[in-house]
Amino acid sequence: MAIEQYSNMVRRLCMIHLKNYADTEDIFQTVFLKYVLSSVSFDSKEHEKAWFIRVTINACKDFLKSFFRSHVTSLDEILEMPAEMPEDYREVLEAVLSLPQKNREVIYLHYYEGYTAPEISRILGKRVNTIYTLLTRSRQMLREKLGGDGYE
Amino acid sequence: MNDKIKEAFEQIQAEDELKQNTKNFIFDKTNGYKKGKAINYHRLASAFACIAFLAVGSHWLYFTPTVEISIDINPSVELDVNRFNRIISFESYNDDGQKLMDSLDIKFMDYSEAVNQIIESEDVVSLLSDGEVMTIAVIGTDNAQSQAILSNIQACTAGERNAYCYYAHSEEVEKAHEAGLSYGKYKAYLELQALDPAITVDEIRNMTMREIRDLLSALSGGGNGGANRPGNGNGRQNRGNRKR
Repeated sequence: MAIEQYSNMVRRLCMIHLKNYADTEDIFQTVFLKYVLSSVSFDSKEHEKAWFIRVTINACKDFLKSFFRSHVTSLDEILEMPAEMPEDYREVLEAVLSLPQKNREVIYLHYYEGYTAPEISRILGKRVNTIYTLLTRSRQMLREKLGGDGYE
Repeated sequence: MNDKIKEAFEQIQAEDELKQNTKNFIFDKTNGYKKGKAINYHRLASAFACIAFLAVGSHWLYFTPTVEISIDINPSVELDVNRFNRIISFESYNDDGQKLMDSLDIKFMDYSEAVNQIIESEDVVSLLSDGEVMTIAVIGTDNAQSQAILSNIQACTAGERNAYCYYAHSEEVEKAHEAGLSYGKYKAYLELQALDPAITVDEIRNMTMREIRDLLSALSGGGNGGANRPGNGNGRQNRGNRKR
Protein backbone atom coordinates (compact mmCIF):
# COMPACT_ATOMS: atom_id res chain seq x y z
CA MET A 1 0.00 0.00 0.00
CA ALA A 2 1.03 3.59 -0.50
CA ILE A 3 1.65 4.08 3.21
CA GLU A 4 4.47 1.54 3.23
CA GLN A 5 5.97 3.01 0.12
CA TYR A 6 5.93 6.69 0.90
CA SER A 7 5.80 6.95 4.69
CA ASN A 8 9.56 7.42 5.06
CA MET A 9 9.57 10.23 2.56
CA VAL A 10 6.56 11.92 4.12
CA ARG A 11 8.16 11.46 7.53
CA ARG A 12 11.33 13.25 6.38
CA LEU A 13 9.37 16.07 4.80
CA CYS A 14 7.50 16.45 8.06
CA MET A 15 10.73 16.56 9.96
CA ILE A 16 11.93 19.37 7.72
CA HIS A 17 8.83 21.44 8.30
CA LEU A 18 7.45 20.54 11.69
CA LYS A 19 8.72 20.53 15.17
CA ASN A 20 6.99 17.67 16.91
CA TYR A 21 5.64 14.21 16.52
CA ALA A 22 1.95 14.89 17.15
CA ASP A 23 1.89 17.28 14.22
CA THR A 24 3.59 14.69 12.06
CA GLU A 25 0.80 12.29 12.77
CA ASP A 26 -1.72 14.92 11.70
CA ILE A 27 0.10 15.45 8.45
CA PHE A 28 0.29 11.72 7.80
CA GLN A 29 -3.44 11.45 8.20
CA THR A 30 -4.09 14.45 5.98
CA VAL A 31 -1.76 13.31 3.21
CA PHE A 32 -2.79 9.68 3.01
CA LEU A 33 -6.47 10.44 3.36
CA LYS A 34 -6.13 12.88 0.53
CA TYR A 35 -4.40 10.20 -1.50
CA VAL A 36 -7.12 7.65 -0.88
CA LEU A 37 -9.93 10.07 -1.64
CA SER A 38 -8.37 11.81 -4.59
CA SER A 39 -9.36 10.85 -8.09
CA VAL A 40 -5.98 11.69 -9.58
CA SER A 41 -4.75 9.01 -11.90
CA PHE A 42 -1.00 8.82 -11.95
CA ASP A 43 0.91 8.38 -15.19
CA SER A 44 3.84 6.79 -13.43
CA LYS A 45 5.50 6.09 -10.12
CA GLU A 46 7.49 9.30 -10.53
CA HIS A 47 4.30 11.26 -10.97
CA GLU A 48 2.85 9.68 -7.86
CA LYS A 49 5.98 10.41 -5.84
CA ALA A 50 6.01 14.04 -6.93
CA TRP A 51 2.35 14.26 -6.01
CA PHE A 52 3.17 13.03 -2.51
CA ILE A 53 6.00 15.53 -2.12
CA ARG A 54 3.84 18.44 -3.20
CA VAL A 55 0.85 17.44 -1.12
CA THR A 56 2.99 16.84 1.97
CA ILE A 57 4.77 20.18 1.68
CA ASN A 58 1.49 21.98 1.15
CA ALA A 59 -0.10 20.17 4.06
CA CYS A 60 2.80 21.17 6.29
CA LYS A 61 2.62 24.77 5.21
CA ASP A 62 -1.14 24.92 5.66
CA PHE A 63 -0.69 23.41 9.05
CA LEU A 64 1.90 25.98 10.08
CA LYS A 65 -0.25 28.79 8.77
CA SER A 66 -3.34 27.63 10.62
CA PHE A 67 -4.81 29.82 13.29
CA PHE A 68 -4.13 27.33 16.04
CA ARG A 69 -0.45 27.04 15.22
CA SER A 70 0.17 30.73 14.87
CA HIS A 71 -1.45 31.57 18.19
CA VAL A 72 -0.45 28.71 20.40
CA THR A 73 3.09 27.72 21.08
CA SER A 74 3.68 24.13 21.81
CA LEU A 75 5.56 23.28 24.98
CA ASP A 76 7.53 20.49 23.47
CA GLU A 77 9.21 22.29 20.65
CA ILE A 78 12.16 20.03 20.83
CA LEU A 79 13.18 18.17 17.76
CA GLU A 80 12.55 14.51 18.24
CA MET A 81 15.29 12.54 16.68
CA PRO A 82 16.10 8.93 17.40
CA ALA A 83 18.26 8.95 20.49
CA GLU A 84 20.63 6.31 19.21
CA MET A 85 21.57 8.36 16.14
CA PRO A 86 25.33 8.66 15.67
CA GLU A 87 26.83 12.00 16.54
CA ASP A 88 27.91 13.10 13.05
CA TYR A 89 24.52 12.39 11.51
CA ARG A 90 22.85 14.31 14.29
CA GLU A 91 25.21 17.18 13.63
CA VAL A 92 24.36 17.22 9.91
CA LEU A 93 20.64 17.03 10.49
CA GLU A 94 20.70 19.75 13.07
CA ALA A 95 22.63 21.93 10.65
CA VAL A 96 20.09 21.26 7.90
CA LEU A 97 17.18 21.96 10.22
CA SER A 98 18.69 25.20 11.36
CA LEU A 99 18.39 26.56 7.82
CA PRO A 100 15.32 28.54 6.74
CA GLN A 101 12.43 26.39 5.61
CA LYS A 102 12.77 26.90 1.87
CA ASN A 103 16.46 26.00 2.03
CA ARG A 104 15.66 22.82 3.93
CA GLU A 105 13.23 21.76 1.23
CA VAL A 106 15.63 22.08 -1.64
CA ILE A 107 18.42 20.44 0.34
CA TYR A 108 16.25 17.45 1.02
CA LEU A 109 14.90 17.17 -2.51
CA HIS A 110 18.31 17.63 -4.09
CA TYR A 111 20.58 15.67 -1.83
CA TYR A 112 18.30 12.94 -0.64
CA GLU A 113 15.70 12.42 -3.34
CA GLY A 114 18.20 13.29 -6.05
CA TYR A 115 16.03 15.70 -7.99
CA THR A 116 17.71 18.19 -10.29
CA ALA A 117 17.04 21.91 -9.99
CA PRO A 118 14.56 21.97 -12.91
CA GLU A 119 12.67 19.03 -11.39
CA ILE A 120 12.55 20.74 -8.01
CA SER A 121 11.30 23.91 -9.63
CA ARG A 122 8.45 21.96 -11.17
CA ILE A 123 7.54 20.21 -7.93
CA LEU A 124 7.63 23.37 -5.84
CA GLY A 125 6.24 25.62 -8.53
CA LYS A 126 9.17 28.00 -8.40
CA ARG A 127 11.48 29.36 -11.06
CA VAL A 128 14.52 27.28 -11.89
CA ASN A 129 16.88 30.14 -11.14
CA THR A 130 15.36 30.53 -7.70
CA ILE A 131 16.13 26.88 -7.03
CA TYR A 132 19.73 27.28 -8.20
CA THR A 133 20.15 30.26 -5.93
CA LEU A 134 18.59 28.45 -3.00
CA LEU A 135 20.81 25.45 -3.52
CA THR A 136 23.99 27.49 -3.72
CA ARG A 137 23.05 29.53 -0.72
CA SER A 138 22.07 26.45 1.29
CA ARG A 139 25.37 24.79 0.47
CA GLN A 140 27.25 27.82 1.70
CA MET A 141 25.26 27.95 4.92
CA LEU A 142 25.80 24.27 5.60
CA ARG A 143 29.50 24.61 4.97
CA GLU A 144 29.72 27.40 7.48
CA LYS A 145 27.77 25.47 10.09
CA LEU A 146 29.62 22.23 9.66
CA GLY A 147 33.02 23.79 9.54
CA GLY A 148 33.55 23.32 5.87
CA ASP A 149 36.01 20.44 6.06
CA GLY A 150 35.27 17.63 3.72
CA TYR A 151 32.06 19.21 2.44
CA GLU A 152 31.94 20.65 -0.95
CA MET B 1 28.67 16.54 1.78
CA ASN B 2 26.20 14.83 -0.55
CA ASP B 3 26.62 11.40 0.98
CA LYS B 4 26.70 12.72 4.46
CA ILE B 5 23.38 14.53 4.04
CA LYS B 6 21.87 11.54 2.36
CA GLU B 7 22.98 9.19 5.10
CA ALA B 8 21.76 11.57 7.75
CA PHE B 9 18.32 11.70 6.16
CA GLU B 10 18.40 7.95 5.81
CA GLN B 11 18.34 7.78 9.60
CA ILE B 12 14.88 9.25 9.60
CA GLN B 13 12.34 6.51 9.14
CA ALA B 14 8.63 6.56 9.66
CA GLU B 15 7.92 4.76 12.92
CA ASP B 16 5.86 1.60 12.71
CA GLU B 17 3.45 3.05 15.20
CA LEU B 18 2.98 6.11 13.01
CA LYS B 19 2.31 3.98 9.96
CA GLN B 20 -0.10 1.76 11.85
CA ASN B 21 -1.98 4.72 13.28
CA THR B 22 -2.27 6.27 9.85
CA LYS B 23 -3.53 3.02 8.39
CA ASN B 24 -6.13 2.69 11.11
CA PHE B 25 -7.18 6.27 10.59
CA ILE B 26 -7.55 5.85 6.85
CA PHE B 27 -9.39 2.61 7.32
CA ASP B 28 -11.82 4.21 9.76
CA LYS B 29 -12.40 7.17 7.50
CA THR B 30 -13.00 5.17 4.37
CA ASN B 31 -14.62 1.99 5.68
CA GLY B 32 -11.86 -0.06 4.17
CA TYR B 33 -12.19 1.41 0.71
CA LYS B 34 -9.03 0.68 -1.22
CA LYS B 35 -7.58 2.71 -3.97
CA GLY B 36 -5.67 1.64 -6.97
CA LYS B 37 -5.25 -1.46 -9.02
CA ALA B 38 -7.10 -3.80 -6.73
CA ILE B 39 -10.34 -2.04 -7.43
CA ASN B 40 -9.93 -1.93 -11.16
CA TYR B 41 -9.02 -5.56 -11.11
CA HIS B 42 -12.13 -6.45 -9.18
CA ARG B 43 -14.34 -4.42 -11.47
CA LEU B 44 -12.73 -5.95 -14.49
CA ALA B 45 -13.11 -9.42 -13.07
CA SER B 46 -16.76 -8.96 -12.28
CA ALA B 47 -17.41 -7.42 -15.66
CA PHE B 48 -15.81 -10.40 -17.33
CA ALA B 49 -17.77 -12.74 -15.13
CA CYS B 50 -20.99 -11.05 -16.21
CA ILE B 51 -20.08 -11.25 -19.87
CA ALA B 52 -19.09 -14.87 -19.56
CA PHE B 53 -22.28 -15.66 -17.71
CA LEU B 54 -24.39 -13.94 -20.35
CA ALA B 55 -22.51 -15.66 -23.14
CA VAL B 56 -22.83 -19.08 -21.57
CA GLY B 57 -26.43 -18.39 -20.63
CA SER B 58 -27.51 -17.27 -24.06
CA HIS B 59 -25.57 -20.05 -25.72
CA TRP B 60 -27.34 -22.49 -23.46
CA LEU B 61 -30.71 -20.87 -24.12
CA TYR B 62 -30.24 -20.94 -27.85
CA PHE B 63 -28.47 -24.24 -28.32
CA THR B 64 -30.49 -26.41 -25.99
CA PRO B 65 -32.93 -28.45 -28.03
CA THR B 66 -36.38 -28.41 -26.47
CA VAL B 67 -38.26 -30.30 -29.14
CA GLU B 68 -37.18 -32.86 -31.69
CA ILE B 69 -39.00 -33.56 -34.89
CA SER B 70 -38.47 -37.03 -36.25
CA ILE B 71 -39.42 -37.59 -39.88
CA ASP B 72 -39.43 -41.07 -41.38
CA ILE B 73 -40.37 -42.19 -44.86
CA ASN B 74 -37.40 -44.07 -45.90
CA PRO B 75 -35.12 -41.18 -45.27
CA SER B 76 -35.02 -40.97 -41.50
CA VAL B 77 -34.06 -37.60 -40.13
CA GLU B 78 -34.41 -35.82 -36.85
CA LEU B 79 -34.42 -32.07 -36.38
CA ASP B 80 -33.51 -30.49 -33.06
CA VAL B 81 -35.55 -27.38 -32.42
CA ASN B 82 -34.61 -24.85 -29.76
CA ARG B 83 -36.96 -22.80 -27.62
CA PHE B 84 -37.10 -20.10 -30.27
CA ASN B 85 -38.49 -22.59 -32.81
CA ARG B 86 -35.26 -22.64 -34.78
CA ILE B 87 -33.53 -25.72 -36.10
CA ILE B 88 -30.20 -25.93 -34.28
CA SER B 89 -29.06 -29.31 -35.52
CA PHE B 90 -30.22 -32.28 -37.51
CA GLU B 91 -29.23 -35.86 -37.79
CA SER B 92 -29.92 -38.49 -40.35
CA TYR B 93 -30.33 -42.11 -39.39
CA ASN B 94 -29.72 -43.71 -42.77
CA ASP B 95 -28.13 -42.96 -46.13
CA ASP B 96 -31.28 -41.63 -47.73
CA GLY B 97 -31.70 -39.28 -44.82
CA GLN B 98 -28.14 -38.08 -45.26
CA LYS B 99 -28.80 -37.41 -48.94
CA LEU B 100 -31.94 -35.49 -48.12
CA MET B 101 -30.15 -33.39 -45.51
CA ASP B 102 -27.28 -32.66 -47.87
CA SER B 103 -29.71 -31.34 -50.45
CA LEU B 104 -31.33 -28.91 -48.01
CA ASP B 105 -29.96 -26.02 -46.02
CA ILE B 106 -32.25 -25.79 -43.06
CA LYS B 107 -29.92 -24.95 -40.21
CA PHE B 108 -31.19 -22.07 -38.04
CA MET B 109 -34.35 -21.98 -40.11
CA ASP B 110 -37.75 -21.79 -38.50
CA TYR B 111 -38.99 -25.37 -38.00
CA SER B 112 -42.23 -24.98 -39.96
CA GLU B 113 -40.36 -23.72 -42.98
CA ALA B 114 -37.85 -26.53 -42.62
CA VAL B 115 -40.54 -29.17 -42.39
CA ASN B 116 -42.23 -27.67 -45.42
CA GLN B 117 -39.00 -27.80 -47.37
CA ILE B 118 -38.53 -31.43 -46.46
CA ILE B 119 -42.07 -32.38 -47.35
CA GLU B 120 -41.86 -30.48 -50.60
CA SER B 121 -38.42 -31.72 -51.59
CA GLU B 122 -38.35 -33.80 -54.75
CA ASP B 123 -37.36 -37.04 -53.07
CA VAL B 124 -40.11 -36.84 -50.52
CA VAL B 125 -42.75 -35.79 -53.00
CA SER B 126 -41.91 -38.68 -55.30
CA LEU B 127 -41.82 -41.14 -52.42
CA LEU B 128 -45.18 -39.97 -51.17
CA SER B 129 -46.73 -40.15 -54.60
CA ASP B 130 -45.47 -43.75 -54.82
CA GLY B 131 -47.65 -44.49 -51.86
CA GLU B 132 -44.94 -44.42 -49.23
CA VAL B 133 -45.93 -43.60 -45.67
CA MET B 134 -44.52 -40.64 -43.83
CA THR B 135 -44.54 -40.37 -40.07
CA ILE B 136 -43.65 -37.21 -38.25
CA ALA B 137 -43.07 -37.51 -34.55
CA VAL B 138 -42.84 -34.46 -32.36
CA ILE B 139 -40.76 -35.31 -29.35
CA GLY B 140 -40.78 -33.04 -26.35
CA THR B 141 -41.36 -32.85 -22.65
CA ASP B 142 -45.08 -32.15 -22.48
CA ASN B 143 -44.77 -28.42 -22.84
CA ALA B 144 -46.74 -25.84 -24.71
CA GLN B 145 -44.11 -25.51 -27.42
CA SER B 146 -44.27 -29.16 -28.45
CA GLN B 147 -48.07 -29.01 -28.54
CA ALA B 148 -47.93 -25.95 -30.74
CA ILE B 149 -45.42 -27.55 -33.09
CA LEU B 150 -47.47 -30.74 -33.28
CA SER B 151 -50.67 -28.93 -34.22
CA ASN B 152 -48.75 -26.82 -36.69
CA ILE B 153 -47.24 -29.88 -38.39
CA GLN B 154 -50.57 -31.65 -38.38
CA ALA B 155 -51.95 -28.68 -40.25
CA CYS B 156 -49.04 -28.81 -42.72
CA THR B 157 -49.52 -32.45 -43.52
CA ALA B 158 -53.31 -32.46 -43.54
CA GLY B 159 -53.22 -32.69 -47.32
CA GLU B 160 -51.09 -35.83 -47.37
CA ARG B 161 -52.99 -39.05 -47.17
CA ASN B 162 -50.09 -41.11 -46.01
CA ALA B 163 -48.74 -38.81 -43.36
CA TYR B 164 -49.03 -39.52 -39.70
CA CYS B 165 -48.26 -37.10 -36.95
CA TYR B 166 -47.99 -37.98 -33.33
CA TYR B 167 -46.39 -36.88 -30.14
CA ALA B 168 -43.83 -38.70 -28.05
CA HIS B 169 -42.14 -38.04 -24.76
CA SER B 170 -38.42 -37.46 -24.84
CA GLU B 171 -37.64 -40.33 -22.45
CA GLU B 172 -38.80 -42.91 -24.98
CA VAL B 173 -36.65 -41.33 -27.62
CA GLU B 174 -33.42 -41.95 -25.77
CA LYS B 175 -33.93 -45.69 -26.17
CA ALA B 176 -34.50 -45.22 -29.89
CA HIS B 177 -31.23 -43.35 -30.21
CA GLU B 178 -29.42 -46.05 -28.29
CA ALA B 179 -30.67 -48.52 -30.88
CA GLY B 180 -29.46 -46.18 -33.63
CA LEU B 181 -32.90 -45.53 -35.06
CA SER B 182 -34.98 -42.44 -35.40
CA TYR B 183 -38.03 -42.46 -33.20
CA GLY B 184 -40.59 -43.20 -35.91
CA LYS B 185 -38.77 -46.34 -36.93
CA TYR B 186 -38.02 -47.34 -33.39
CA LYS B 187 -41.69 -47.28 -32.59
CA ALA B 188 -42.48 -49.40 -35.60
CA TYR B 189 -39.63 -51.70 -34.60
CA LEU B 190 -41.15 -52.20 -31.16
CA GLU B 191 -44.48 -53.09 -32.72
CA LEU B 192 -42.83 -55.49 -35.14
CA GLN B 193 -40.78 -57.07 -32.42
CA ALA B 194 -43.89 -57.81 -30.41
CA LEU B 195 -45.21 -59.79 -33.36
CA ASP B 196 -41.95 -61.26 -34.62
CA PRO B 197 -39.13 -61.41 -32.06
CA ALA B 198 -36.64 -62.36 -34.78
CA ILE B 199 -36.66 -58.93 -36.38
CA THR B 200 -33.47 -56.90 -35.92
CA VAL B 201 -32.65 -53.24 -35.84
CA ASP B 202 -30.41 -53.54 -38.90
CA GLU B 203 -33.24 -54.91 -40.99
CA ILE B 204 -35.46 -52.04 -39.98
CA ARG B 205 -32.98 -49.29 -40.60
CA ASN B 206 -33.10 -49.38 -44.37
CA MET B 207 -36.72 -50.35 -44.83
CA THR B 208 -39.17 -47.68 -45.85
CA MET B 209 -42.03 -46.87 -43.58
CA ARG B 210 -44.37 -48.32 -46.19
CA GLU B 211 -42.48 -51.64 -46.11
CA ILE B 212 -42.51 -51.67 -42.33
CA ARG B 213 -46.17 -50.89 -42.27
CA ASP B 214 -46.94 -53.59 -44.79
CA LEU B 215 -44.88 -56.05 -42.82
CA LEU B 216 -46.74 -55.06 -39.69
CA SER B 217 -50.13 -55.53 -41.20
CA ALA B 218 -48.98 -58.79 -42.80
CA LEU B 219 -47.87 -60.11 -39.43
CA SER B 220 -50.84 -58.88 -37.46
CA GLY B 221 -53.47 -59.53 -40.10
CA GLY B 222 -52.32 -63.12 -40.57
CA GLY B 223 -51.29 -62.78 -44.20
CA ASN B 224 -53.96 -60.44 -45.45
CA GLY B 225 -51.46 -57.62 -45.78
CA GLY B 226 -49.84 -56.74 -49.03
CA ALA B 227 -49.60 -54.01 -51.47
CA ASN B 228 -52.99 -52.54 -50.76
CA ARG B 229 -53.27 -50.32 -47.80
CA PRO B 230 -56.06 -51.26 -45.51
CA GLY B 231 -54.05 -50.11 -42.54
CA ASN B 232 -54.00 -46.46 -43.38
CA GLY B 233 -57.18 -45.36 -41.77
CA ASN B 234 -56.56 -47.57 -38.80
CA GLY B 235 -53.03 -46.35 -38.61
CA ARG B 236 -54.12 -42.81 -38.36
CA GLN B 237 -56.58 -43.70 -35.68
CA ASN B 238 -54.09 -45.71 -33.74
CA ARG B 239 -51.61 -42.95 -33.90
CA GLY B 240 -54.21 -40.58 -32.66
CA ASN B 241 -54.83 -42.75 -29.64
CA ARG B 242 -51.20 -42.72 -28.77
CA LYS B 243 -51.02 -39.01 -28.57
CA ARG B 244 -50.29 -37.69 -25.17
